[in-house]
Amino acid sequence: MGGFYRDARVDVLRRAQNSDGGWGYFPGKQSWLEPTAWAALALHGTPESDRAWSLLKTWQLGDGSWRPGADVQISNWGTALCVTLACVRRDYGDPFHKGVNWLLGISGNESAMWRRALASTGLFPYDRNPAYKGWPWKPNTASWVEPTAHALVALKKASAHFGGDELQQRIRLGHAQLRDVRCADGGWNYGSHAALGIDLPSYPETTALALLGLQGETDLDKSLATARHMMESNPSPLALAWLRIALSLHGESVPELFGNPSSDVMITSIEVLSCENYKLLRTGGRL
Amino acid sequence: MSDSTRREFLGIAGASLLAGYAGFAGARPRSQTPPGRSSVTIVKAASYSEDLVSRILEGARACGLDVRGKRVLLKPNLVEFDPSTCINTEVSVVAAAYEVFKTLGAAEVVIGEGPGHRRDTLAIAEMARYRAEIAKFDSLFVDLNRDDVSSVQGFADRGEIYLPNTALRADLIVSLAKMKTHHWAGATLSMKNYFGLVPGCVYGWPKNELHQVGIDRSIVELSRIFRRSFAIVDGIVGMEGNGPIQGKPKQAGVLVMGSDLPAVDATCCRIMGIDPEKIEYLRMASDRLGVTAEARIEQRGESIKAVRTNFDLIAPFREFRLA
Repeated sequence: MGGFYRDARVDVLRRAQNSDGGWGYFPGKQSWLEPTAWAALALHGTPESDRAWSLLKTWQLGDGSWRPGADVQISNWGTALCVTLACVRRDYGDPFHKGVNWLLGISGNESAMWRRALASTGLFPYDRNPAYKGWPWKPNTASWVEPTAHALVALKKASAHFGGDELQQRIRLGHAQLRDVRCADGGWNYGSHAALGIDLPSYPETTALALLGLQGETDLDKSLATARHMMESNPSPLALAWLRIALSLHGESVPELFGNPSSDVMITSIEVLSCENYKLLRTGGRL
Repeated sequence: MSDSTRREFLGIAGASLLAGYAGFAGARPRSQTPPGRSSVTIVKAASYSEDLVSRILEGARACGLDVRGKRVLLKPNLVEFDPSTCINTEVSVVAAAYEVFKTLGAAEVVIGEGPGHRRDTLAIAEMARYRAEIAKFDSLFVDLNRDDVSSVQGFADRGEIYLPNTALRADLIVSLAKMKTHHWAGATLSMKNYFGLVPGCVYGWPKNELHQVGIDRSIVELSRIFRRSFAIVDGIVGMEGNGPIQGKPKQAGVLVMGSDLPAVDATCCRIMGIDPEKIEYLRMASDRLGVTAEARIEQRGESIKAVRTNFDLIAPFREFRLA
């Protein structure tokens, strides 16, 4: 699919790789985890991807999480991307196990025990159900659609190589949260479906990501229809790439793409993924 | 980043803290404003089709702004796009500000923003017509969510915060804010606009860390770190009601400018019919980062009385109405 479209982007990625094996968000900038992980998946099976994984493994922190860049000492949601990358590479060693354990140990702080207790009194209105558990961008913050979707992909891909009920339970609770925060039109906002009781709009990129995380779920017809409609309404390049990936993974046909690549490494990587390597993000059938 | 460059950034951050209430000497005409007072300029502009370059130039000169040889970062409020309302700083204001700062002799003028919700910043810029109406926009623009970053020591009870190098390097940051109500903070103006300086690549979309620290406290802390600032608040058409995203357009017909951000925001509140003493972050910033008492703000240009227009407030903030 999309020979020139894909090849031109692969060429951009190859030329933009930093000497340390990583990629910046833009060519010539410092390497960051996120563009490096996406480029490594886009170029999976190449020496460039191998070099990227070698770099990323050095960024794992002692608690099993990954930091977002060489100079930022903060545990980060990108851990999910590294676990997914480890699974794609069939590298089920120590970094993989530590990464999965970290993901299992972290959740959005809205699901803390005291908040669940408070919610159970019914005295305070909540825009989402704190009994469910998603994932935050970083520890000690609330969960959001995008990191939750990526964590679900990582854990579902990891499940064949990581035993225990806890992993399955977190997948179920993560799915439940994504379904709970779905907007009225079937799509997803970046967080909740409402704020202060007022409905929020859905966005194409977060709708696509939620569908990515909810692979295996049934009863997504309305959401898939919304995603199709979003794709037809000329969304951003990033949203278009994510929508192509999500719809492809749900068995829908997607249109060919045309156009020259931009200098945005993350978007270019996800555009490459949307051509063929989206299959690397497949997580399988029903729960 | 090299160690020497990092030390330079830390030095800049440290210097900005030491500058304290005195603010940025290059931006504040201290000789023209008595000690303990700040000046704020209100300029009328009935619509975006007026000559905004002249209006902003008039306001900047009234504030005694000197940016010759400086590296200037224009920080608009570019959040999301909804054609039915007015979320973002209008492109004509950003374009005019760019022209003004080049005219005033800035060595470099770039535009930077890190939206809090959407990942594809250029796509929002496209929808808000920034790319169409600001010449060479892509080459002037830095996505602050995905810029390289450096650590700055001390942010509320956190040991450090990572901030974009483009912002840390700037000699002057111009907060090109939108005059809006805000469903958590009461009002979002030039100080709250600095949430867009916090990098999503470290803290996510949204930057929920700032809510965990506390919205008001985070607003004050960011304003403390970025003291070398100038504010231009786009109140030509602001937002009332359920801001900052889902409110309704409200014409106020003004641009509000100054180097003392708390003073500018307090003035904006008074124009909007909001009591600034009820806005928590302005209470916290008052006398620490700037002045907010009306008696200590030297009003230039139009008077508040001449341009005041009450913005609708959602229920939790109705008691904030200025008498």
